[in-house]
Amino acid sequence: MSEEEKEEKKFLQKPTSRRDFLKKSVIGAAGTAVSMSVLGLFTDSAEARAFAVAEGIVISDPTRCTGCRRCETNCTAINDGKAHPYISRVKVGRNYNFGENGPSIAYWNQNGNFGDFTIVTETCRQCEAPRCANACPMGAISADSSIGARVVDKDKCVGCGRCSVACPYDIPTVDPEAKKSTKCTLCGGYPTCAAKCPTGSLKFVPWKDVELALVERENLIKNN
Amino acid sequence: MPKYKGWAGKILRVNLSDGSVKAEDTNDYLDYIGGMGIGYKVMWDEVPVGVKPFDEANKIIFAAGPVTGTGAPCTARTNITSLLPSNPQHLIGDGHMGGHFSPEMKYAGWDAIIIEGKAPRPVWLRIEDEKVTIEDARKLWGQGIFDTTADIAGIMGQETQVAAIGQAGENLVNLATIMSNGNHSAGALGGVMGSKNLKAIGIIGTGSVQYAADREDWIALNDHVMSIIGANNQHVVPSTPQPWAEYHDPASRWTAQEGLFWGAADKPVETGICEPENINKVGYRTQKAVKDHGMIAEDYTVRMGGCQSCPVRCHSSLEIPELENYGVSRYVMNTCMGYWSHYMAMRNMDEKSGFLAKTLGAQLADDYGLWCNYGQLGRDLNYAYDKGILKDVLPAAEYNSIPWDKFEAGDPEFLVDLYRRIAYKEGEISHLGDGAAWLAERWDFDEDYWNDEAHHLWSPMGYPLHHANESNGQVGSLINIIFNRDPMNHSHQNFLGSGLPTKLLKEIAAEIWGSEDAVDEPANYTPMNRAKAKFAKWSLVTCALHDSLTVCNWMFPMATSPLKKRNYRGDTSIEAKYFSLTTGIKMSEEELYKAGERILTLHRAMTVKQMGTVDMRNEHDIIVDWVFDMDPDKKPFTPGTIKMDRDDMEKAKTMLYEELGWDPETGAPTYDKLVELGMKDAALELGKLGLLPGNVQ
Repeated sequence: MSEEEKEEKKFLQKPTSRRDFLKKSVIGAAGTAVSMSVLGLFTDSAEARAFAVAEGIVISDPTRCTGCRRCETNCTAINDGKAHPYISRVKVGRNYNFGENGPSIAYWNQNGNFGDFTIVTETCRQCEAPRCANACPMGAISADSSIGARVVDKDKCVGCGRCSVACPYDIPTVDPEAKKSTKCTLCGGYPTCAAKCPTGSLKFVPWKDVELALVERENLIKNN
Repeated sequence: MPKYKGWAGKILRVNLSDGSVKAEDTNDYLDYIGGMGIGYKVMWDEVPVGVKPFDEANKIIFAAGPVTGTGAPCTARTNITSLLPSNPQHLIGDGHMGGHFSPEMKYAGWDAIIIEGKAPRPVWLRIEDEKVTIEDARKLWGQGIFDTTADIAGIMGQETQVAAIGQAGENLVNLATIMSNGNHSAGALGGVMGSKNLKAIGIIGTGSVQYAADREDWIALNDHVMSIIGANNQHVVPSTPQPWAEYHDPASRWTAQEGLFWGAADKPVETGICEPENINKVGYRTQKAVKDHGMIAEDYTVRMGGCQSCPVRCHSSLEIPELENYGVSRYVMNTCMGYWSHYMAMRNMDEKSGFLAKTLGAQLADDYGLWCNYGQLGRDLNYAYDKGILKDVLPAAEYNSIPWDKFEAGDPEFLVDLYRRIAYKEGEISHLGDGAAWLAERWDFDEDYWNDEAHHLWSPMGYPLHHANESNGQVGSLINIIFNRDPMNHSHQNFLGSGLPTKLLKEIAAEIWGSEDAVDEPANYTPMNRAKAKFAKWSLVTCALHDSLTVCNWMFPMATSPLKKRNYRGDTSIEAKYFSLTTGIKMSEEELYKAGERILTLHRAMTVKQMGTVDMRNEHDIIVDWVFDMDPDKKPFTPGTIKMDRDDMEKAKTMLYEELGWDPETGAPTYDKLVELGMKDAALELGKLGLLPGNVQ
């Protein structure tokens, strides 16, 4: 296998973290530089199709999240009729113990329950030019007509997982039981995760306020 | 495929002696629901009388029930069953932990993990859904729990949930924990894992837990619980007067109020007014740091924390830079006795040093995996020190090497030295980790150790009281005699501590147990009556049920609520609704309580079998003397004392035995009761052993 093929293979493998993704995509995506800015990943490819923006997105306040993960099972209760955190569109569990980069040698000063207690909850950004939708070979991901959430058409989805690989935040997840991809639908404009969050950490933020909210979130996560 | 929803359908059996891994069918255990019930059934069927906790033939069972993993509020408990090393007769018992471990186990497709045998060298168990392997743990052996967890997550993936032991468990300290998520520990059984050379279990589960209900009904049930729910321990009134609240009680754990903050959050988070039915504020109701440490803790509070699925956050996460002076992380998290037990191992402290002792002790004990025996370890140290016993039993060189100056000065650093010695079994003083009964025998404690209320002992089996005669007299006392360690039972305590006026509690008591007489004014007790026996039975049965479903007995049963519109009535049928909507098996409250009775009675039968006597009343259900001899100037059942009366307590035992259908004379399960509960095999086995009351064959 040539070096190029190896890199291509690596790129297609599911990244284990966002940092991993950035590293891989910088190498893999034909030399395209990826912006590190907060919103850079919303529109990181010139060829990508952009959709009309969603009305807003769900964002977690890291100072208020206590890691109860009720959002995960509430998400799959309303969307899937079962308890299934692995496919929840809100991701709390995977960063719960050690933060988004996993256990480091000095985990006690990193995020997570074994660190500074910051829970890094990941939510769907409903990107303007969504990598999940652009990566989908079946054209199964599109903006819904009511609120503009980028949603998976279950009839078209073949469960290949390219959307999972493409997403910088590892949000779309192929349900290992239904063999279909899942991603945040914004629950038609009334996200259940936020409505039932026991500390009000999760909020539905209107699009015009999203950038500011994400910048603040990033700062709170970094500011141990 | 599982027969019903809720259960994962499979039980994992791992034999560490021969390295075999098997999947078994959960359907064989459905009568025992899950959790504690599965644990007792496996122990009854498979571990013969005479096996000791650290023998290869002992087993240890990690189990959850059908409701765990569904996301219903307060359902993330893990029940761990084995033989108790600290119990002087090595009787059966459980440790319990919250956190995120058992939901992950369910998502991986397992209702329980049975560990048997002994590995030839240190191992850890790796579970990724149906893939299970036994891994080499030689590099992990000798490490604390925090590093072990991080190492395993480094190997398996950051989303891994880990249950691990520290050095205390490795070194077969009787008082050792099994720990998950850094601050959720199951007491008493860490040494059993150590004896099997099993350092940890790591789990990643990518599957679901299914429920039978359709999504609307399921969400409606969850919303209902979110409206009934109170603060920690189902306290349903705030601790301070608030605009929405008709009542308040300074002892309530509903401490949220205006001007009270999570003071060390990266931006200010005010707990504020958390009116009932506001779902988005339930997580602020319990500011547990100030409850456990006083107002000094407010400025150090990063947030609250707790278990998967639970909106009530009963653990406090603190950032205390001074902790780094002792070589531990500045970030510490725990709750209740997880902090307090370390204070009890000290003396002569002021507010700040007491705060540091609690939090430093938590860091050390949680990493070593050292258990406090519900605060008894520290009291034992102080007793032996004050009595001059330590000078007698410790070699002079050892005695002189211990920094008693720090102990006397109230310097928390004393704990750094003390806990290391216990966790590594260094020297004679490490026998503090044996447990009270073993220690009292080894160091020849006087009768006053048992008979002075100051030392908090409850049972000659070496456990202290845990909401006993101070909790509604005979009711708490009865609850404290049935299990083989401190009872870990909060059913009665949640009700009594709800914060509602006694008059209201009496009304609710009459609805549940048939008479207002079930509840007395605090420290103003009446003699035993039938309603109190029913209250005690209800507490014991619901506790066994909760540890089998598995739901949190620190929140359930929710007999009261914060809702004036319900006249503060809660809903004791929630557990039955959880069970029915999850599994699809329609079960009434009464029917489900019958299953709880079955599990409790199996515990009793196992205890009878192990002790080789039916005379539970006189051989097992013993209460130490101070309970009857305290307050010498006062008579029982007079205002201002929690003193009990010996004859009245014997009457209380009789009534409880009757309520449970056990032999009223001995307190042992009868043939008829065992058969009625569907345990004829157990009845026949006990009959063969001559262990049925009246010696029925």
